[in-house]
Formats: sequence, C-alpha cells, structure tokens
Amino acid sequence: MSDALLEVGRLNAGYGEMAVLRDVSIAIRPAEIVALVGSNGAGKTTLLRALSRLIPSRGELRFAGRSLAGAAADEVFGLGLVQVPEGRQLFDRMSVAENLRMGAYQRRDKAAIEADLERVYALFPAVADRRRQLAGSLSGGEQQMCAMARALMARPRLLMVDEMSLGLAPVIVDALLETMSQIRAQGVTVLLVEQDVHAALSVADRGYVLETGEIVRAGTARELERDPEVQRAYLGAADPVPAMPAGRAHGAP
Amino acid sequence: MALLAQIVVSGVLLGGLYALMALGLALVWGVLNIVNLSHGALIMLGAYATYFLFTGAHVDPFAALPLAAAALFAAGYLIQRGILNLVIRGPMFNTLLITFGIEVILTYLAQLWFSADYRAINPRYAGSSYTFGGVTVPLVQALGFAIAIGLTAAMWLFLLHSRTGRGIRAAAQNLVAARLYGVDPKRIYALTFGLGAALAGVAGGLYGTVSQINPYIGGPLTAKSFVIAIIGGLDNPFGVVVGGLFLGIVESLTALYVGPTYRDVASFGILVLVLVARPSGLLGRTA
Ligand SMILES: Nc1ncnc2c1ncn2[C@@H]1O[C@H](COP(=O)(O)OP(=O)(O)OP(=O)(O)O)[C@@H](O)[C@H]1O
Ligand SMILES: [Mg+2]
Repeated sequence: MSDALLEVGRLNAGYGEMAVLRDVSIAIRPAEIVALVGSNGAGKTTLLRALSRLIPSRGELRFAGRSLAGAAADEVFGLGLVQVPEGRQLFDRMSVAENLRMGAYQRRDKAAIEADLERVYALFPAVADRRRQLAGSLSGGEQQMCAMARALMARPRLLMVDEMSLGLAPVIVDALLETMSQIRAQGVTVLLVEQDVHAALSVADRGYVLETGEIVRAGTARELERDPEVQRAYLGAADPVPAMPAGRAHGAP
Repeated sequence: MALLAQIVVSGVLLGGLYALMALGLALVWGVLNIVNLSHGALIMLGAYATYFLFTGAHVDPFAALPLAAAALFAAGYLIQRGILNLVIRGPMFNTLLITFGIEVILTYLAQLWFSADYRAINPRYAGSSYTFGGVTVPLVQALGFAIAIGLTAAMWLFLLHSRTGRGIRAAAQNLVAARLYGVDPKRIYALTFGLGAALAGVAGGLYGTVSQINPYIGGPLTAKSFVIAIIGGLDNPFGVVVGGLFLGIVESLTALYVGPTYRDVASFGILVLVLVARPSGLLGRTA
C-alpha cells in the first residue's frame, strides 16, 4: 500500500528484555478511521508508544512517506502524528486554555492558533466553559474532551486516540465518536484504540484485532462485526461457554 | 525601635539577594528533579566573573551582571548537556553525588586559579547610602534588591506567559505528555539548567558587591538556597521571595540579638528543623 499515510511493517517493540509486539504490520490510508481492538494487555498502548517513538522499536515505520527510524518523539509530533494518550495525561497544574496551547507548542502561526482555539472551543463547548480552570480539577469526561481538544490544536494528520471511552457515560462516548467523524470529514486520519469494540467499529472504516502482541484479524468494520470470533471475544455474543481461549471454533465442546 | 527598623530593612535587603540565589536552585529542582549541590559554586563563579570584569576590565559591577549571566548560562547548559543528561531522571542520590562532585571540582579549580584570598568588589559608590527617618539604606544593597526582585518577577512572567516557559512547566508536570506534544526534553533541560546557572551568576555578582568572596562561599550558599526553596516551594517564583525575606530577616535579627557569629547557626538551625519536620522534602516535590 504505497498510498498509505502510515505504514508499519513487522514492528517489534517491548520494555527492556520483555517483548510485547511481534511482527505487527498495519497500514492506514489518508482520511480513514481505523479501529485497533484487543483485550487488556494485548499491546495496543505499546503500539501507540512505539509509533510516537516514546519507546524504541525494530521494523519498518513510515509516516507520510518518511521513515521514522531514529526520529525523536518531538519530531514525530511535528510531522503530524499526534496521540491522545491513555489516561489523558493532561498538564494538571495548567489551565485548560494552557493545555490547548501546549497542543500548538510547535506552531508559530499566532493568528491561526487563535482561530483554531475558537474552532476547538466550538467543537467542545464544555471545554470552552472551563478554559480558566486547572485541568486537574476537571471531571473525567471533561478531561477526555480537553485531551482531544489539545490534540486537535496540533493540527494532526493522523490522530491516535487511546481508550477514549474508558470511564465515560455512553452519551459522552457517542458525542466523542460523532466528533471523530467530523474530524475525519475535515481530512484528519484517525486510529482509534478501544475496549468498546462495538462503539469503535460503528464509526470505523476498517479494523485490526491485536492479541498478545500479534495482529490476528484485519478487515472492514462490517467484516469484523460479523466475524464470529470477534463477536464471541469482544462483542459479548451469547455463548454457552464464555471466556473461551481465542482460536477455538465457535460452539466446540 | 529605630534599631529594630534598621535591622528589618537590612534583613529585607539581604533577603532579596537570598531569594535570587534560591530561585535558580528551585527552578532546576522543580523541573529536572535535581537538587543541584553545585549551585553555590556557580554563584561563586558569578562573583569571580564580576570581580575580574571590574578589576581587570573596569566594567561597572552592575553592568557586568549580564556578562556573568551569559557566561554562567553557557556553563550550565554544557554541564547539563554533557554530564547530567547522562543520569537524567535517575535516582536522586546519583544526581546529588554528581552535583556534589561538580561543586568540589569548581571550588578546587577556583582555589587553584584565583587563590584562596578574600576579595571585594568596591566601586566608587560602594559607600553611598540614603537615610529615611533614621533608617540607612546602602545604595549597592538597594540596587541589588531591586535587581533581584525584578529578575524574579521577570522569571515568573517568562515561565507563565512565554512559549518556552510553558514547555519548561510542561516537562516539569508531565514528562511523557510533554514529549508527546513536541517538547524536546534534552533542550528544555539544558535550557533550564542554563537559566538556573545564569540566575546563580547574577546572584553571585550581587553577592560580591555586598560581601567579600573566596572560593569556599559556595557550600553555605547552596544550603541557604535549599532552605529557602523548601520554605517557599518550587511552583511559584514568589515562594522563594517569601523564603528569602524570611531567612534574611531571621539572620539579621540573630546578628543583633544573639551575635553576628550566630547568623549561620540560625539559618542552618532552620535547615535542620525543616528537614526534621518534612524529611520528604529531600526526596520529591513536596515543597
Ligand atoms: N511501562 C511498562 N513497562 C513494562 N511492561 C509494560 C509497560 N507498559 C505495559 N507493559 C506490559 O506490556 C503488555 C502490553 O501492555 P499495553 O499497555 O500495551 O496493553 P493494552 O493492549 O494497551 O491493554 P489495555 O487494554 O489494558 O490498555 C502488558 O503485558 C503490560 O503489562
Ligand atoms: Mg492500553
């Protein structure tokens, strides 16, 4: 896929001696929404850390036609590969407005930054109402919106969102997913990492399933929703023997 | 009563200088999580830089301050980039040992190059002073106080409102998020350490105009800066102003009522008290 915005080939990464990701290959085309799903500890967050170059990795890593091998985290960010990390990771002792300005840390276009601030506030009115409040004192949902708003201030080309729905009310999740579709309509590509597989596949074009560090399924969102394995493992389909190890056929004794 | 007022004014003037000394230490501590034991040695180098610019090149000591600041900024930047960067975010014990080593080396080199003699920076106006209602304010100390408070305020504005200041605070608050949002920690850390050293350089120049200097003034000044940083906290530069004024006034009162030789006993007594009361102050950002 040479028209891909992000190309990951046989990527291996882990923590010190411990290998987590094994030969992970994925590709994301411009303006796609791609879901990455998998159970706890599968390595989803680790993959995003490797893509943002927070941890070292082996294998091919290309973004917008440029190899990221040897690039530092701040350079990757500068290229437009922007992450909303797991657990939000806001700057707790900065105001909401300052957090958003940190999203624009590498930008020098003052007028455009101000315009983007207004645009982002319009997208997240709850964030706009709290712009002078310290980020650490926001509610969980407000923090998640603040984290999304901060990422948008970077004018990302590829936005990677890790565990957006964690601990949020379904209405808020729906609102955020709706925002995701709006962002995509503006040409931003999205990689969505989710526990809530149903929600993720409902907005995604395609998806990958990661299990113990390996990609075990790939396909369009429709294909994955209909896949019996995916249904059983992630969508809570009725099953007489729940929580069977993956890989065994549906309905086996 | 006039005597007490005089003592308090002297304490306040001294306290402004102390605040500036502690500002650089608190900045580096808050952002890099390093208690820089060589901070006092950097102050000492700033004092010598000002001294030699004055005696050697006839630069007015106050005009020499920006030069001392620039020289110390470069030294601090290089120390961070070349040495401390290797153990960054390592256990605090490692960085304590390394900065202690730097302090020993700088003190030794100063003794080698500058000799152990006491020196004083004495410009023509060194003896000038103003008297208000019985209270005497020496010109040099008043100038030093104004510069110290002005620099602290400027530092505060810089951290709060500039893009780089925001990057420094971001790295201090959440390093992972800072890296994810385009902050280069190596550059920010070197810049912060350089700024801390530059502040030490200016403080040293001002110190040299009010006290005699020798290569060994660093250790006690590090300890005083540490006390002030713990009292004032690391988050707000005006915390060190409060801590500095407190220490300055306590020292002046001690000198009057107990005896001048007991000044340092008072400030190190406070250090011991603070460590006993909040021993965790040594280990983290609790201050
Ligand atoms: N900083 C770390 N140091 C060492 N091991 C880690 C670290 N972070 C994660 N791991 C391990 O790596 C593996 C993958 O973790 P990762 O966080 O990538 O999973 P995940 O798919 O994001 O899970 P979740 O859905 O629970 O967020 C786990 O076994 C985890 O224990
Ligand atoms: Mg995760």
